[in-house]
This record gives sequence, structure tokens and C-alpha cells, in this order.
Amino acid sequence: MVATDKIFSDFQEHSVAEFFKKNKQMLGFAGKTRSLTTIVHEYVTNSLDACEEAGMLPEITVVIAEIEKNNSYRVRVEDNGPGIPKKHLGKALGMMLAGTKFHRYAQQRGQQGIGAAGCTMYAQLTTGKPVRVVSHYDKKRIECTISIDFKTNQPNIETSAEEDTDGSEHGLVVDGEFADVKYDKSAYGVYEYIKRTAMANPHATITFAAPDGENLKFPRSVEEVPPKPKAVQPHPMGLSTHDIIDYAHHDAQSTRISSFLQNSFTRVSSEKVKELQAIANEVDFSKKPSELEWAEAEKIVKAIGKVKWIAPATESIVPIGKRQIEKSLGGILKPQFLEVSERSPKIYKGGIPFVIEVAIAYGGDAGRNSENGGSGKSGDIIRYANRAPLIFDAAGCALTQAVKEIDWKRYGIKRFEEEPVTVFVNIASVHVPYTGAGKQAISDEEEVTAEIKNTVMEVARRMQHYLHEIIKEKDRAGRRKVVERYLKQLSIDLADLAEKGKASELEEKMKKLIENKYPSLMGEGDEEGENGNGGNGKGEKEER
Amino acid sequence: MKKKTNTAGTLKQEGGMPEIKLKRLGEEMVEQVNANESPTFETLLRSKGNILFDEGRGYLRLGDKVEKRTFVNVGQARKFMQTVAIANKCKKFLKEGAHTSIRGLFYQLKFSLGEDLDEELFSEQSESNPLIEDLEVALNIKREDLNLSTDRKGVVAGALVLNDKFGGDETEIDCSKQGRSGWMIPSDVDNGMEFLSVDADYVLVVEKDAMWQRLNEDKFWKKENCILISPKGQSSRGCRRLIRKLANKKLPVICFTDCDAWGWYIYWTIKTGSMNLAYIAQDIAVPEAKFVGVTMQDIKDYDFLGKLTIKAKEVDLKRAQEMKEYEWIKAHKEWVAELNEVLKTKKKIEQDALQGPRLSFVSEYLKEKIGKKKFLP
Repeated sequence: MVATDKIFSDFQEHSVAEFFKKNKQMLGFAGKTRSLTTIVHEYVTNSLDACEEAGMLPEITVVIAEIEKNNSYRVRVEDNGPGIPKKHLGKALGMMLAGTKFHRYAQQRGQQGIGAAGCTMYAQLTTGKPVRVVSHYDKKRIECTISIDFKTNQPNIETSAEEDTDGSEHGLVVDGEFADVKYDKSAYGVYEYIKRTAMANPHATITFAAPDGENLKFPRSVEEVPPKPKAVQPHPMGLSTHDIIDYAHHDAQSTRISSFLQNSFTRVSSEKVKELQAIANEVDFSKKPSELEWAEAEKIVKAIGKVKWIAPATESIVPIGKRQIEKSLGGILKPQFLEVSERSPKIYKGGIPFVIEVAIAYGGDAGRNSENGGSGKSGDIIRYANRAPLIFDAAGCALTQAVKEIDWKRYGIKRFEEEPVTVFVNIASVHVPYTGAGKQAISDEEEVTAEIKNTVMEVARRMQHYLHEIIKEKDRAGRRKVVERYLKQLSIDLADLAEKGKASELEEKMKKLIENKYPSLMGEGDEEGENGNGGNGKGEKEER
Repeated sequence: MKKKTNTAGTLKQEGGMPEIKLKRLGEEMVEQVNANESPTFETLLRSKGNILFDEGRGYLRLGDKVEKRTFVNVGQARKFMQTVAIANKCKKFLKEGAHTSIRGLFYQLKFSLGEDLDEELFSEQSESNPLIEDLEVALNIKREDLNLSTDRKGVVAGALVLNDKFGGDETEIDCSKQGRSGWMIPSDVDNGMEFLSVDADYVLVVEKDAMWQRLNEDKFWKKENCILISPKGQSSRGCRRLIRKLANKKLPVICFTDCDAWGWYIYWTIKTGSMNLAYIAQDIAVPEAKFVGVTMQDIKDYDFLGKLTIKAKEVDLKRAQEMKEYEWIKAHKEWVAELNEVLKTKKKIEQDALQGPRLSFVSEYLKEKIGKKKFLP
């Protein structure tokens, strides 16, 4: 215990807070727009996780107010979760790598536990101000400011109010001022992030008051809290060198590396440890886990890859669910057609289970609004890992690549770049194969990529029928329009030529004839094409 | 000799009939719309597949393949609207008694279909031309009846007197008093144009203007009591219509052209009509026309001509070969023999060559051949 504490504090002293202070881009603080999205992401993710863990339906309100345009903003995120008890507030918001999440090994959105503290750090670095927190937890209301002492990685908490309540209120409010950030409506901005979060979290009600005065509300479309992901021990196949080091240095019980491996990870028997030892023969498996070094951990990871493992249990995976996706996308995108996959878990890297969920939405507000503000739409790929939106690094992401490699023409989408289509892809897994620490892209694991493609194709096949209908209807509408162009002139000339009848009446009658010949099966307003005014249909929109 | 006679066909000449036909076309379409039908009209197909040689009548005419033009159809909507616009515009011309060319009509109708539509009613004349023909066929009237004028070409001299009602004036035209230039044949010889008297024995059509001037100077038409016409090459609609009308007065029509591909073509167009104008053949073809020369036989009959022949060009020979196969030519063995002679000797000869011995020889030549009825059919 003493030894462990010592090592951990050493680790903190020479790295954690100072390290991240110097390498804030590793936490997603790179670029003004992205930094703001990262802040919102960290708070919203924590709120969603906290609510779900407490079995509550999340209700989250995000308010961003401008302090100085395109530079500094105030961000306030409020949830109805259980709140945080006083003793944990510092760890949660004022300490880097405090590991509150780290000890529970389950499928979660954030897996690092530096998120909210990272935001505190960023507020301090850019505005010099601490974050303000109001926590209602178990009949207590605490109001305080929190900052981090970078030298010691310890929280500074200044409590301004502490009172007992009747417990009817619960939840957390985090409120900070940040500079070197920017709000915009680009694909990387907060607006898009919140919309995408709402799409993958139909059990949450998310309200967003944007600095430009826009108010969005995404009401929940399903009433049940997703099942709690079971905390499971990690499977060796999913471990990185960094993971093993962290686990080893946190393990206060095991005295040897061999027992640490057996105790910390699933499917590791004494037999398997022997196999590992045989391969990684330079590593002293009788060493204390707290003394495990990077090079040794690296060798263990290599050895793990050479040993055959029993696959981990799949019940650790919690997909969003077909019905849930149908509800959320149906409500938010209001597509003409929507198809959602429902597939069983697959395995990658020889033992890590994952589930791919794909939805394709066509028409309505699906697709990305064209960049130049026109009414045109382009195909949109929205990516998620464990229902957290992946906003950045799209080009380097296996999800994007797999979707782009589909021969969309085969499925009735002539030009993916020019059609109102949204492809929604979620990978659910305890070990999401991220490309890097930024956790914004999925690496190209053969089995994962293949499964994404198969799932997209399966859904696309079901869409095909509808798309053909849409194409036919477009064709009919096109024909209708061609004839209607000439209606007015003809009516004028005809009435004049015959010296009989009124042009307006002839026009009315002939319009009916045209509509009969080229009927619209899609109902009204199907072909207007002018209704894409940029911000429509994203939840209940109202001006402030 | 100024008089006003109302002969048969007054209605047409007064400009009433085409206007009524146009109005009726509109009325029918309005009725169709009221009966919840797409406005439609029928016209004869003018493509090659519907052009036939009518042996009994002796000219190329349209068959009876009918084409429907309808508005509520993607492929036809624009053209249909355009056709009705033309019909309406022509009705206005008729009402006002104003004439214009098909180019003028195009400009009258070249306007935007509306501020919100990036499209003009007509953007090119090539669009309006075939639609005018549609209307001509559908209503069984000529464009001249719609006050659409065509290019004037052709000249006439002889004992023909006409009354020309034009622009509110009436002018009497005596084609025997037109001096060296003759009377230029207008595009429309029907509407507002009345034959007061025709006092000639036959009509002589000569291919070239130069030859017409030669014969005019020789007072050939006066001496021979004929009406002397030159279409100046290929005949215009108005010129062919005038020849047809003179033929209707029982005047024989005799043609005099070069002995080459172009000359034959001019003759046969006058006689049997052409593919392009098959739709108005009954008004312009002159199947009873005869061919007086120049012929290959002339080279044998007039010694001096032998030295004045020209080597036939490839196109002449090719044309001769083709003509032998035309059913309306094949039926005349004299023509087959004539064309075979061309193909054999590979020679051609121009009508101007007949001025070889002396300028007025051509008059003597024509007088002799016409007198002896030495014609090819």
C-alpha cells in the first residue's frame, strides 16, 4: 500500500498535471472549435454516464454564452443525475487521472477519467479561473469552485455554500469560463456534437442554448434507461502497454506480476501465465506489479498476441438498440425512409467482442447541408463509439472508410456525395479499437471493418427498394415539372386563340390533368427542395 | 382594265378561312380541356416513312400516317405550347392584315416564359420552323395563308394580269408591261392576289435568269404568246404555286433547263414536287409539266452543240444513276434512255450553249421543239 502510494505520487509529480498542461492537445484541446466541443463532450459524457449508472433518465441542459466572440465563452452543463458527494468532487473535477472510472472496467463512453478535470485545467490555463460547481447529492447541496494545483495534481476546493436539502433535487451543475475557444455550426462544432449525441441517446432529453440565440431541445424518445454495462475484467487481447502499466501500478493486492495478470484480467489462468512467461522470457514474472516497466509491459503485450485465448463474455456489450435508434433518428431527422440493423456480436483480434449498429436515413433532414448555404444536401456519415459521437479525424477512421468503400450505386444511391442520406454507425465494445489517445477514430481492424461493411450493406439492401421508389417519384415529379413549366403560357394562348374560356380556368384544369398523369405518391411538399434553410428540424427549435 | 371581281374562294382570299380554322383549333382544344382531356391535335407525319409517290396524281405526297400532338406529355409539352403560341400569333397577323417572315414570327415569339423560369418561348428559329409546318398540315393550309411570307424568287413576263390587294391598296399588275426586269413573283400568289386575265397558250419555265433575259429581249413570250417564267434556279414556293395556278387555267407547262443533275432536279421538283414540301404537293406540284430541253438528243440534232458539251461531273453521273431508279422516272422509258445516254457519253450541256451560233438561236430552238412537241415527259 505504501509502496503503491509512493509510486503513484511519483508518477503524479513528474507527469500527470504538468504533463497534460504541456500536452493539452492530447486531451482534445487543439483548435478553437474543437476545444469547445471537447469541453461540452467531457461534461455531457460524464452526465450521461452518471445518470445511467444511477438508473435515471438523463436530462441535460447545455448553455453556452458568449463572453468575447470567437474567443471566450461560458459553458454551463446541468444534469439531473445523482450529483457528486463532497468527498469525490475534487477527484472528479480537480485531479488528473484520478481514476474514478478506471477501476470499473465496463463499456463506457469515456474511458480515461481525465475528462472533466481536463476542462478545469483548460479553464485555468486560458482564463485563470476555477470552475464553479453546484452538486445536489443525497440531501446535500454544495456550491464551490474547483481548480487544480498543477504541481501536486491536487484539487483546490473553495466551498461557498453547503446546506441540507429535502433530497428532492439532485444533479450536478458545472460552470466554467474558457478562452481560446470558438462556437460555430461546422461539422466539428458543439451544435453538431449535441445533435449527434441526442441521436445516439434517445433516452436522454438534451437542451441546448447556443450563443447565437438558438434554442434546441431534443426530447427523449424512449423511456427506459439503457441496461447498465456489466463491469467485467478486461480481456488480455484488448490491452495496450499503457493499460497494463496503469493496471499494474494500481494493483495493491498482487505481489507478483504472474498473480497480477491472473487477478486483473479475464480468461488468464495459471496455464496461460506460463505460456506468456515462456514467450516473454526476459520479463521477471515474480516482480511486484508496481515495478513493471514500460519495456516489460510491451513484451507482455507481444506475448499476449501469440497466445490463444478464450473469447470474453459478450454480455458486457450494450448496443443502443434497433427500436431506440429508430425512435431517435425518426424524431430528429424525420427521414422519408429509415432502416436500422440488428446484429449479434462479432469478435475481433481473436477475442474482443463488439457489435456494429448501422442506420441509414434518407430524405427529410438527413444528409449534410451543403457547405455554401444552398439547398443541396450531401451524404453524411455520423460515427459513434459506445454511443459517444466521434467528431474529429473522420478521414482516418475505419468507420468512415468502410462506409465510403460501399458501392452505393448498387443500392440506388447514385452519388453518395449529393444525396440526402445519413449513415449512422455505432461500435459498441468494451475495447473500442481507437487509433490513438484522442479517441476520435477507429483503427482498421480487419474484422471490425468487414463487419461494418456487411452491416451497412445489409441495411442498404433493405433501403434499396424504397430508394427505387424515390427515384421513380423524382422522375415523375421531374416530368410533372417539365410539363407545368409551359402551363401558363399555353393557357394564355389557348384562351386567346379560341376566344373562349379563361386562361386561369384552363390553367387550373390542365394542372389537374398533369397531376393525374404524373401522380405524386409521396404526398405533399415532397419535391420542393427549397426547404433546406440550414437549421430546420433539429429538434424543437425556437428563437430565444 | 381596273375591275374588282369576286370569284370563287372569296372566303379564302378575304383571309377568313385560315382565321376560322385557327380559332376552331383553339376551340377544340378548350373543349378537350373541359372534358378533362389533354389538349391534342393531329397532323400528318412528315418524315420520309410517310412520303409516297402517288402514281395516279403524279406527285410526291404525304401518306395517311397521323401523328398526335398532345400537351400532357414530357416529350411534347414544350412543342405543343409553342405550336399554340404560333397559331395564336398568326391569328393576330391575319386579324391585322400584317405579314411577316418566319424569321419575323420567331422574333415575335422569342420572349421569356416568366421571371421565375430561365427559359424562352423560342430560343432558335430552327425550333419554330417545323412547328409552322405542323400547323400547315394539321389545318390543311399553307403558311402563306397564315400571313407568313417566304423568300421571293422568280420572275415572270407575259399576258398575265393580276390584282394585288396589299397594305390597303389595290394594284393592277400587267406582266406584259414589266420591261426588262419582269414582275417578281411574290411569296404568296393566293391571298389578296387575283388573276384578272390570262391570255397565253402555254407557260415556259426556264432555269436561268440569264436565259429568261435573253428570251425577254427577243420578245419570245410576245411572239409565241406564252408566259415566260424563270425560277432562277430551284423554284421557290411562290413560283411553284404560280406555275400550278397557271396550269389550273389549262395552260401547258414546258420546262427548259440545263442537261445536268441540277437542271433535272429543278424540272422534277416542279413536276412531281419534293420530299420537303410533300405536305403541300397538291398546291404546288405540276405533274403535267413537260421537258423541252436541253436533251442528249439535241447534241445529235444540232451539230454545233457537239462541240459545246462539258464533261459530266461525278455528281451528275451519280445523280443520273439514282434518277433511273426513282419510280416516277423509271416509268418513263424516254427518261431512262436519256439518262443512260448521259451515263454512256459522260457529257452534259448547258442551256446557254444554244446561244452558240447566234444569240437568238435559242428562240428558234424552242420554237421548233415546242412546235413539234419534241418533249420528254
